[in-house]
Amino acid sequence: MEIGLQSAQSRDIFHLDPRTKLAILITVGIIMMSGKYTGVEYVLRLICVAVPFVLLISIRLFRSAFIYVLLMYSTVLCEGFIIPNTKGMVNLMIMIICGVISRFGPGYLCGWYVVKSTSVSEFITAMERMHFPNIITIPMSVMFRYFPTLKEDYSSIHDAMKMREIGKKIKNPFTYIEYILVPIMMSTVRIANDLSAASLSKGLGVNRTRTHICKIGLGFIDYVLIISMVVMLVTFYVF
Amino acid sequence: MIEFSNVTFKYNVTLSDGEKEDIYGIRDLNFSIGKGEFVVLTGGSGCGKTIFIRLINGLIPHFYSGELFGEITLNGKSIRDMSIFEISSKVGSVFQNPRSQFFNVNTTDEMAFAAENQRRDPEEIKKRIKDTAVSMKIEKLLDRNIFELSGGEKQLVACAGIGVLSPEIIVLDEPSSNLDHHAINRLSEILSVWKSEGKTIIIAEHRLFYLRNLADRMIVMENGSVSNEFKCEDLKRLSHEDTVKLGIRTLSLDSVSYDCKPGIGRSSNLIFRDFKFTYKNNRHSIDIPKLDVPEGCVTAIIGHNGAGKSTFARNICGLEKRCKGYIEYLDKRLGYKDRLHNCYMIMQDVNHQLFTESVEDEVMLSMTGGDMSEDDKRERVREILDKLDLSKYYETHPMALSGGQKQRVAIASGIASEKPIIVFDEPTSGLDLFHMEQVADAIKDLIRIGKNVFVITHDYEFILKCCDHIIHLENGRVKDSFNLDDGSICKIKEFMCEMSEVS
Repeated sequence: MEIGLQSAQSRDIFHLDPRTKLAILITVGIIMMSGKYTGVEYVLRLICVAVPFVLLISIRLFRSAFIYVLLMYSTVLCEGFIIPNTKGMVNLMIMIICGVISRFGPGYLCGWYVVKSTSVSEFITAMERMHFPNIITIPMSVMFRYFPTLKEDYSSIHDAMKMREIGKKIKNPFTYIEYILVPIMMSTVRIANDLSAASLSKGLGVNRTRTHICKIGLGFIDYVLIISMVVMLVTFYVF
Repeated sequence: MIEFSNVTFKYNVTLSDGEKEDIYGIRDLNFSIGKGEFVVLTGGSGCGKTIFIRLINGLIPHFYSGELFGEITLNGKSIRDMSIFEISSKVGSVFQNPRSQFFNVNTTDEMAFAAENQRRDPEEIKKRIKDTAVSMKIEKLLDRNIFELSGGEKQLVACAGIGVLSPEIIVLDEPSSNLDHHAINRLSEILSVWKSEGKTIIIAEHRLFYLRNLADRMIVMENGSVSNEFKCEDLKRLSHEDTVKLGIRTLSLDSVSYDCKPGIGRSSNLIFRDFKFTYKNNRHSIDIPKLDVPEGCVTAIIGHNGAGKSTFARNICGLEKRCKGYIEYLDKRLGYKDRLHNCYMIMQDVNHQLFTESVEDEVMLSMTGGDMSEDDKRERVREILDKLDLSKYYETHPMALSGGQKQRVAIASGIASEKPIIVFDEPTSGLDLFHMEQVADAIKDLIRIGKNVFVITHDYEFILKCCDHIIHLENGRVKDSFNLDDGSICKIKEFMCEMSEVS
């Protein structure tokens, strides 16, 4: 699984504005986390469960989308049929697992979609449009940019440890963690330093606005989605 | 266009023993570079060429701290009075490490980045990206994830970013150190286009052969001042012997001499069987049914980026479980688990393989002799460290050492582990002549104590210095495997030189 803000927009089926994505993320999160299983709220939950599926399809992650749907269906079936028919420990276990999946799953996948489908420059642009100060936006975007680098570093440190058979020699888990963390931190410092120097020499600054080649703007789909998200939230709180 | 008058730059470093010392990065330098000139800066590590570059792109004094005396002007304006933003509209920079110079993850965004910061019109930027991509023949690299690209491709993207911005001055700090010969060719084509467009280009570099026909002037630096200066014509006359005397890398790969060392290697062979391995994304796979390599010699693994060299090295070391291949060595059959016990890799980034708080502990960690007493072990460790010229640093934290010293600590751990096979992943990338020869000597010593060494490398001079056997990989298969001697030397030359000296 790739982490970090990235995109290849041209291959997407439809592309949303980062602000729309944010609205979806918040709405799905709230409704799934706190919604009840009855009445209007149950209908809203059903709608929210479908949202990540559509989003994942839109960036062509078909496999993940279908695995997600299967998982959600089996959770719903469990909640409907298995939980009422079991007792005691088993009942409790199934209830907890199903609860966690159905309450956190859709929100988590929406978050994953946001990270997968938004590029660094879209993110910066959208944050600027929402009048977030650069002093928050730029460090955040560097953070996202850093995750894949961290992954590369970690895997080569892991290899080095395997080759020196450190796992066998060092029994103390704290020493083991230290051995992983020290090289990672050293390389983090170095890369952060180089990256700042490179960005500065390319003219990135906190107090200036920039132009953007990425197209950001609320299109028809965005308006429809944002309005429906607002309607859903209002319904959720009124009823 | 660029004037240095009486420039001195002094900065503070913390030495390995914790004391602070002032170091002169640049000493009393007077220098001027005219519009459209192509200047090459070279010299040993720490000679001040990187600082020279940073003075031009404004990172000194605006980012790196230190004391700056004298005056540097761009078009008559002092860099002290210019903000780094103002400088960045005139000077474009390419850095040494392709991993850490990108702000964006998407390549197209990265190419646009510098121009966006200068508030250029988006439509114009888009058009320029397209034009630059076409003229540099990198349409394939548009709209990609940077983490999927090779080092060479990343450097091309960095150059494309400059092409889009199109500044008057372009500075490059060792751009070729992670590149293979093919990528260096591309780089030199780009440089010659920029030169023909009248850009002022300043490049700090160790590997000089690809710049011979481009440079208007070459500056050799030593201890922060200019020790030698060559004009275009003189430059072309410099022979391999001259460059050795100057302590710099060769200007013409053709003239590098090779002294044949017969009688190396033992009669027996290491036999690789069934080395087949594919990554999930199907890239860099290898397919080697059988390969014989003479035992007790230095084997260079050469080939283009993406030919599967690193994959092969990882499999030699047993880092990939799925590889079913084995090595026959001294009548033993080494599967992947045995290879983990028997092989040791010196990685390209040695920072990833140093874990402890002192050099001595670092080497102790690798000691295997279970029956030895603590004192015996310690004595053996010191013996190894002394041989590698590290006797001053027993107690030093490995991270406080210089790059070359770290590499030698890693080699020392390899020796201490008593593993018979040692693999190096591009040990000489970014090294000057002196340090390259030092690595070559260290490797020859490994052979003397009975190790088998495999080296992934793109460095022709280095191969001629210390390698005995060559494996040439192409598309994951062994294209050729031969002993290095006067007769076979032309094969490598064909692969490495002719490609790079066409320009």
